[in-house]
Amino acid sequence: MELFLMTLITGILVGGNYALVALGWVLIYKCSGVLNLAMGELTLIGAYVTLTFYQMGLPFVLAVVGTLLVGIVLGILTERIFLDKLIGEPILAVIMVTVGLSFFFKGLVEFIWSTDTKVFTPPVFSMEPIALGFVKVSPVYLWSFILAIVLLIIFVAFFKYTRWGLSMQATADDETAALSLGVSARFVYAAAWAIAFMSAGVGGALLGNINGVNISVGHLGLLVLPAVVLGGLNSVPGAIVGGIVIGVLQNLSGSYLDQYFPGGVKEIVPFAFMAVFLLFKPYGLWGWERIERV
Amino acid sequence: MSHVWLPCGDYHQTYEEDQGWWQTTFIKTKMVLLLLVVFVGIPQFLDDYWISVGTMVGYTAMGALGVQLLIGYAGLITLGHAAFIAVGAYTSTLMVLQVPWPQFMIDWGLAYPVSILAAAVTAGIWSVLFGLPSAKVKGFYLILTTMAAQFITVDFILTQYVSQIGGRGQAFSLPPGTIKIGPWIIDTETEVYYTMAVLITLMVIVLANLLRSKAGRAWVAIRDNDIAAEALGINIVWYKLLAFFVAGAMAGVAGAFWVSNTAALSPEHFPWFWSLWLVGVILIGGVGSIHGAVFGSIFMVVVMELLQMAVIPLSIYYPKLLMDFAFIKDMAFGLAICAFLIYEPNGLAYRWWQIKNYFNLWPFSY
Repeated sequence: MELFLMTLITGILVGGNYALVALGWVLIYKCSGVLNLAMGELTLIGAYVTLTFYQMGLPFVLAVVGTLLVGIVLGILTERIFLDKLIGEPILAVIMVTVGLSFFFKGLVEFIWSTDTKVFTPPVFSMEPIALGFVKVSPVYLWSFILAIVLLIIFVAFFKYTRWGLSMQATADDETAALSLGVSARFVYAAAWAIAFMSAGVGGALLGNINGVNISVGHLGLLVLPAVVLGGLNSVPGAIVGGIVIGVLQNLSGSYLDQYFPGGVKEIVPFAFMAVFLLFKPYGLWGWERIERV
Repeated sequence: MSHVWLPCGDYHQTYEEDQGWWQTTFIKTKMVLLLLVVFVGIPQFLDDYWISVGTMVGYTAMGALGVQLLIGYAGLITLGHAAFIAVGAYTSTLMVLQVPWPQFMIDWGLAYPVSILAAAVTAGIWSVLFGLPSAKVKGFYLILTTMAAQFITVDFILTQYVSQIGGRGQAFSLPPGTIKIGPWIIDTETEVYYTMAVLITLMVIVLANLLRSKAGRAWVAIRDNDIAAEALGINIVWYKLLAFFVAGAMAGVAGAFWVSNTAALSPEHFPWFWSLWLVGVILIGGVGSIHGAVFGSIFMVVVMELLQMAVIPLSIYYPKLLMDFAFIKDMAFGLAICAFLIYEPNGLAYRWWQIKNYFNLWPFSY
């Protein structure tokens, strides 16, 4: 029972990070209908940029703020250089450009930072477990969960209450109508990419604290795909719920299924779950169901 | 409308004539020349290094043909094709190593050819299994299921379980002499190249024939508009699964061939990266044409080799460039995909078609 509660809570905490990365994914999909397959690499870049700032002697919070700024710049640059020219092209072309970008970013990261695992030294969070009721969790998980939730609230509030957020929602709903009301679609796309870079970057920074920073952080970034699918590709609350569910599922399978299927069952279960889930509920929990006509 | 340009006044009377492959003497000469270059020119007159580059082109093209069928002809986007190549490679290796072949089959060199067939069937069935969701979903969601195929197959089943068969742990290696086709033991670069050339020729013939059959037309109809295709009475689930089977079988053959090239096998040969690479290859080559898969493979492999040659002189000043060449390759590949999609979205095959048309219609190109 204690094991169960412990894995459950760790799962929820890790799920918070997934939710953050998943949010970046959903934002881009909502605004421009693009499935951004470079998300894993964006997470990776975030982790390394934060690490670099941190090694330069900045406090962790400032390093994260710095990552956010770098994320904005990179997001806008990416959008302007690569994706701006593709507005109006078939969606598949745009998705494949994100595949190209993922190769490019991955190569770039490996070239600049090489492939060795790097850790945050000195550790940002202390190693002493914190007691939550009668369950002990490591502070890394707790703090990154809190930070993830705070950022999530900020992003959601941004969407609901600010002018930019509303114009993004309008574009997502109906691009033509939004354009006729004076919303600049180019601005909205740039903003969506900037936000996606930011949320992935912070997600990467937090995930990097858990296991150290190396290329596998990018795989963790991909692991949020099942979360996005579970919640529905265009639902912000769905991304959050999906992230947490996948985190829990992953940790539970790690502690209970590992004895039956030794090895990397933890990494695979979300994808297996996703493949089966798609068979029964292809649009996720809260995604829009499209009815197609000829 | 015929797909080749004919002299003025030549008309086809039947559908068979219209769909014929080598319709004019010029095309026949050209194709015979091409076959001569592939089967005699490259293996006999180039050194081992370039032959191995040619083998790599062929291997890439084998994988890319299956991806081309799925993405370019049936409109089913797959990002997990390396998984099926891996299934083929492992099936073939395990059959060669573990099955107690009767002595005469080993003597006659039948074990490996039989294992190639078995690899094709196994990979095809495995591919259909992951194609099942395509009955219900498409587009992004199908991308996700094929990605799931990659991670479940390669990172889990093959790494954790299949690699344990025989108690060797991570990798399999094939002792010399086990890969034998008929009387020939495949162990030099030239022999591997010939295996590749024969297999790729067969695969192109099979695919091109399938594409001008009922199945091919059904695939194209599904790609263009699946709801309309269904309304026309095409059983779209059946044809989608058939596309998955054929593409998976081709991947299986590619995988079984890969074994002969490396004589060793481990899951690292089939990363997700390779699935994406194959998709990139057909994007650069041109989606929706067999030429595209081949052009894309040639372009990617040869350009990467040339890039490496260009980097070598620079490495005197920046040794890091050569050390981390794999990463530069990733970057160059990513940029190439982006550049092609932005500036030449129809790929190299379209450019080839334009060049051909220019000369066919010359001097009156209107």
